[in-house]
Amino acid sequence: MDLKPYANYLRAASAMIAGLLIGLFATVLSLNAGYGFNSLRAGPWTAWPHIGGADIDPYARAVISRSGEAPLGRDQGLAFIARTDSDGAPLNAECEYRIVDPLPAARFWTIALASPDGRLVANPTERYGYSSVDVLRTETGAFEIGVAREARPGNWLSPGNARGFVVMLRLYDTPLDIDSTPDPHSFPHIVKLGCA
Amino acid sequence: MRLNIPDRYLDLLPWLMATLLVAGIVHIVSVLLMPTIAPRDALARLAAYAKSAAPAEGLVLLPPMAPGAETLPFEDPAFAEAVCVYDLAKGPLRVKTSVDGEDYLGLSFHANAGRIYHSMTDRSAIKGKIDIVVGDERQIDALTSADEGDAPPPQEVRLTAPTKRGFVLIRSLAKRPSDQERARNRLSAITCQRFDLPQG
Repeated sequence: MDLKPYANYLRAASAMIAGLLIGLFATVLSLNAGYGFNSLRAGPWTAWPHIGGADIDPYARAVISRSGEAPLGRDQGLAFIARTDSDGAPLNAECEYRIVDPLPAARFWTIALASPDGRLVANPTERYGYSSVDVLRTETGAFEIGVAREARPGNWLSPGNARGFVVMLRLYDTPLDIDSTPDPHSFPHIVKLGCA
Repeated sequence: MRLNIPDRYLDLLPWLMATLLVAGIVHIVSVLLMPTIAPRDALARLAAYAKSAAPAEGLVLLPPMAPGAETLPFEDPAFAEAVCVYDLAKGPLRVKTSVDGEDYLGLSFHANAGRIYHSMTDRSAIKGKIDIVVGDERQIDALTSADEGDAPPPQEVRLTAPTKRGFVLIRSLAKRPSDQERARNRLSAITCQRFDLPQG
């Protein structure tokens, strides 16, 4: 069969199909990369303040409508997520971590573990996080939270049998300026102590 | 200077550009359409839960968070939550409660397709009261024109919702795990009701 007279049609069709695939691939990639533009980074912590306001960008809207989450409003506080420790290595449930002072100013804060897709991580203690009120502090007001599978004295969060996890830091009624780069030294450090 | 590219590659160049153009259009359209076609967004999840709980209208307390039983992903486990799913086609909505000034209470007003058009905490309550009316443009206009006259100015905050359907998510902080009960009681004290516009 002679395809020569149809060569342009074939080319047009392959351009269409390739374009469709590349376009959808780019969408999947960009939606998995976070919540669009204007992120706020401090050490391992990242927040997207604009997802809580009316000026949310189309990428962030696509991400949250796909995941089904209802973000924290801009005037309520800020939610930071850490997927790595302070050295930049991905958080691993096989390892033991310590989350230590300091914290930015806020009326309340909570630190909680979550699975990478935002679910609670099942663990035998049924404790999923600490708040600024119920965390145990030393005499100087400092605190540290141990993250490990096995029980730790003091504040302890367990990732249970999950393979991966993320740490959420939420600051409620915080005066933190979202238009300038926050100081990483005013955020908690996530220190890896060792791996099983 | 002449570039040493065979002609048949140059022939393919327009098709390559066409491919990229199509890819760009597909990418933009799919991102913009996502909020409309995503089947399990927050509104859909909350509406489905509210429907399964009685009463279907007004304020519905969300079940305590537990692994595998989260209504929404990425919610703070330290909170008790309630939701009020609304459809303004049936009439405007009034959210009302009083606050004690000590315990954190957050209200966020979500339009269809992932946009928060208003959010507040108990800090911005007026004289210990939260009184918010949500309506579409026509309903808020009707309320404003009904005010004119010598009646005292309204105490309520009026919000114009960008879409007819949406939800109000109310988060009540339990500072300690043992405070969950108190946090839930605070939510039960909140009313979220549809009301009729004044006649005239």
